[in-house]
Amino acid sequence: MRNLILMFAFFAGLQMALVDPLAAQTASHTVRDDTGRDLVIPDHAKRIIALQEPMLAVPMLELGAKVVGSYGRATDGSGLLAVDFIATVLDQDGRTLGLSGVGPLGNIDLERIRALKPDLIIGGETDGDKVDMLSQIAPVYLHNVRSGDVAGFTTQRRLASVLGADQAFDALHADYQTKLDTVRDQLPFDPVGKTYLAVVIYDQINIVGHMSGVIQAIEDLGFTRADLEGDGEATGYGRGFAVPLSSELFARLNPDLLFVMNSYAGGKRDEDAIRAKLDAIVPGWERFSKPEREGRILFLDSAKVTTPTIASARHTLDAIAQWAAQN
Amino acid sequence: MIKVTTGLHGHSILRLANGLEIRVHNLVTVMVLLCLGILVGGASIMMGTTNTGMGDLIALIGGTGVSDDAVFAIMDVRLPRILLGFMAGWCVALTGAMLQSLAQNPLADPGLLGLSQGSMVMIMLMLVLFPAFPIIFMPLAGFAGGIVIAVLLLVLVGRHHTGGLGIVLMGIAIETTLSSVTSILVLYTPAEMSYALSSWLAGSLFRSDWPTVFGFAIWFAASIPAILIIGRKLRSLDLGDHMAMALGEPVHWTKPLILFVSVLLSAAATTAVGPLVFLGVMAPHLAGFVSPAKGRARLFLSAMMGGVLVIGADSLTRGISSDVALPTGLAIMIVGAPLFIISLRIRALRQSKMI
Repeated sequence: MRNLILMFAFFAGLQMALVDPLAAQTASHTVRDDTGRDLVIPDHAKRIIALQEPMLAVPMLELGAKVVGSYGRATDGSGLLAVDFIATVLDQDGRTLGLSGVGPLGNIDLERIRALKPDLIIGGETDGDKVDMLSQIAPVYLHNVRSGDVAGFTTQRRLASVLGADQAFDALHADYQTKLDTVRDQLPFDPVGKTYLAVVIYDQINIVGHMSGVIQAIEDLGFTRADLEGDGEATGYGRGFAVPLSSELFARLNPDLLFVMNSYAGGKRDEDAIRAKLDAIVPGWERFSKPEREGRILFLDSAKVTTPTIASARHTLDAIAQWAAQN
Repeated sequence: MIKVTTGLHGHSILRLANGLEIRVHNLVTVMVLLCLGILVGGASIMMGTTNTGMGDLIALIGGTGVSDDAVFAIMDVRLPRILLGFMAGWCVALTGAMLQSLAQNPLADPGLLGLSQGSMVMIMLMLVLFPAFPIIFMPLAGFAGGIVIAVLLLVLVGRHHTGGLGIVLMGIAIETTLSSVTSILVLYTPAEMSYALSSWLAGSLFRSDWPTVFGFAIWFAASIPAILIIGRKLRSLDLGDHMAMALGEPVHWTKPLILFVSVLLSAAATTAVGPLVFLGVMAPHLAGFVSPAKGRARLFLSAMMGGVLVIGADSLTRGISSDVALPTGLAIMIVGAPLFIISLRIRALRQSKMI
C-alpha cells in the first residue's frame, strides 16, 4: 500500500513538473479589445510586439512585460525615431532588453515579426488596417491610446489588466503615491485649489490634454486645470494629447503654474531651446507672461513626461521638486 | 487568318481575321514588358527577411515540402505584394494615359487634376476624425472623395469643356487647395497620427493581403474592357474635339464618361496603396518612348509599364537595408525618374537633329 501511495505521489509530481508548466504556457483567455473584437490571448504573454513605442511599448516595459519587438527600432534594438523613449523614460537600452525592430516606419516587416515568434501583438486604434495581416502571426489586441476615455495612466492600467500584470502596476503606483506625497510637501504652497496649464510647442503652441503622464502627476498633486477662454466640448479641449492654442492667447495665460515643453519630434528640448522657440512664435512673451515674470513657469522635457506611464509622471514630479527647491 | 503587312507609315502590322490590327512593334514591346515584369517579380519573390530561394518557389509550386516560414513569406507576404503592386501601377498609369488624352495635355494625371487628392483627403479625414471607422469601408470614402472632385471639376469647367487647358488649370487649383488641407492634417495632427498619415501618403504596399488583391482584381479586370472601349474613343479624341465630333464621337458624353472611369480606377488604387505620385505621367511617357502608339495599344502599353515600374520599385524597397524606410512612392521615383529624364533627353536630341 505504501509503495502504491509513493508511486501515485511520484506520478503526480511528474505530472506537476511536466504538464503544469505546459498548461501555464498555453493558458489563455478571451478578451474584447477596444475596437470590440473578441480574441483569445495568453494569460501571461511571453513574447509581445508593440506597434507603438511611447504609447504601448514603454508602459508595458515598465510593467515588466516581455516585449520582444517594437515599431520604430532597428534589427539590433537601437532606436530609429527622433527620440528613444525606452532610454529617455525608463533609462534602459533596447538592445540589452533584447528588443528587435519590426521594420522601418511605414514598412512593417511581416516576415521579421513572424521570425520573432510573438504570442501577442498590441497596437493602437490607428493600427486597425494591419489587423488582418498581423492576425496570421499572433493575436492582435488593439488598445485605444488617443481616443475614447484615455487619460493619464488609464492606458497603462488597462494594459496591466490585459497582460495579467495588475500586481506590478499596483506596486509601481504605490511607489508613485509615496513620491507624490513627498513632492507635495516640498511645494511652497498647498496645490489644492491652485490652477495649472501645460503647453507643448510644435510649430505652434498647443495645450496639453489629459492623456499623458505629466497631466496625471500635476492633477494628482492637487492642481486643477485653469479655465481657458474659448474652450468647450466642441473644441475637443481636454481630450487627446494636444490641441492648438492661439499664440496671442499664450501671452495672456495666467495659471498658478505654467508648464512648457518643446515637441519631442523636433530638436532640443531643454529650457534654452524652449525659450528660443517661444521667442520665435510669441516675440516678447517674457514681458507679457505673468507666470514667467513671477517665476511660476516650469520647463519640461516632453520626451520624458508625455508617455502615459508612471515613469513619466515620476519625471514630472522630479521636475516640480527641482523647481520647488529653487523657489 | 493572321497576316503581317506594312502600313502606310512603314511599320509592320499584324492583321487578324476579325479586322483587328496590331502594330508588331507594340506587340513585341508588350511581350518584352511582360517578360520583364515576370523576371523582376521572380527576383522580388526571393527578397525578404526569410531566407528563400528559387528552390522554395519551385517546391511550393510543385506542392512538395516547404517550411511554414517560406510558405508564409512567399504566399502571404511577397506574392500578394507583387500582384497588388502590378495591378495598382497598371491602374494609375492607365488613368494617367486616359486623362492625358482627355485633357489633351501630356502632364495630366490623377494627381494633377486633384482626383487622387480628393480620395486622399477624404481617407485622411476619416482616419483623423473617425479613427475607429471600419477600415473595410475606407475604399468607399476614397471613391466618394474622387467622385466629388470629378463632379466639381465638371461643374466648374462645364461638361463641354473637359479638354485642353481649362480642365488642367482647374485641376491644379483644386489639387493645390486639397494639398494644403493634406499639409494641415499632417502638420497639426498628433505626432503618431502624423507619422501614420505621412507613411500612407508616401505610398505603401504593406496592406497587400489576398482579400485586398482579390478586391482590387475586380477593378483590374474592369480596366481591360475599359481599355477596349475607351481606347477606340481616345483615338478620335486625340485628334481634337472638333475632329472627334466630325468622326461621330459624342464628345460631351464621352469625356465625362472617361473622367468617371479614371476616378474609379484612381480611387481604387489610392485606397489600396496610397498615392503613387507621378506614375500617371511617367509611365505613359516611357511607354510612348519605347513604342509610340495610339488608342488601345497606348493604354495597354502605358498600363503595363506602370505595373512593371511598381514591381521594380517594390523590389528596391525590400532589397535595401530592412531598417531604412523607403516608401513605394519614393522608390517608384528612384526607379522611374532617371528613365523618364533619359527618355526626354533622347527625345529632345532627336527633335533637335530633325530641325
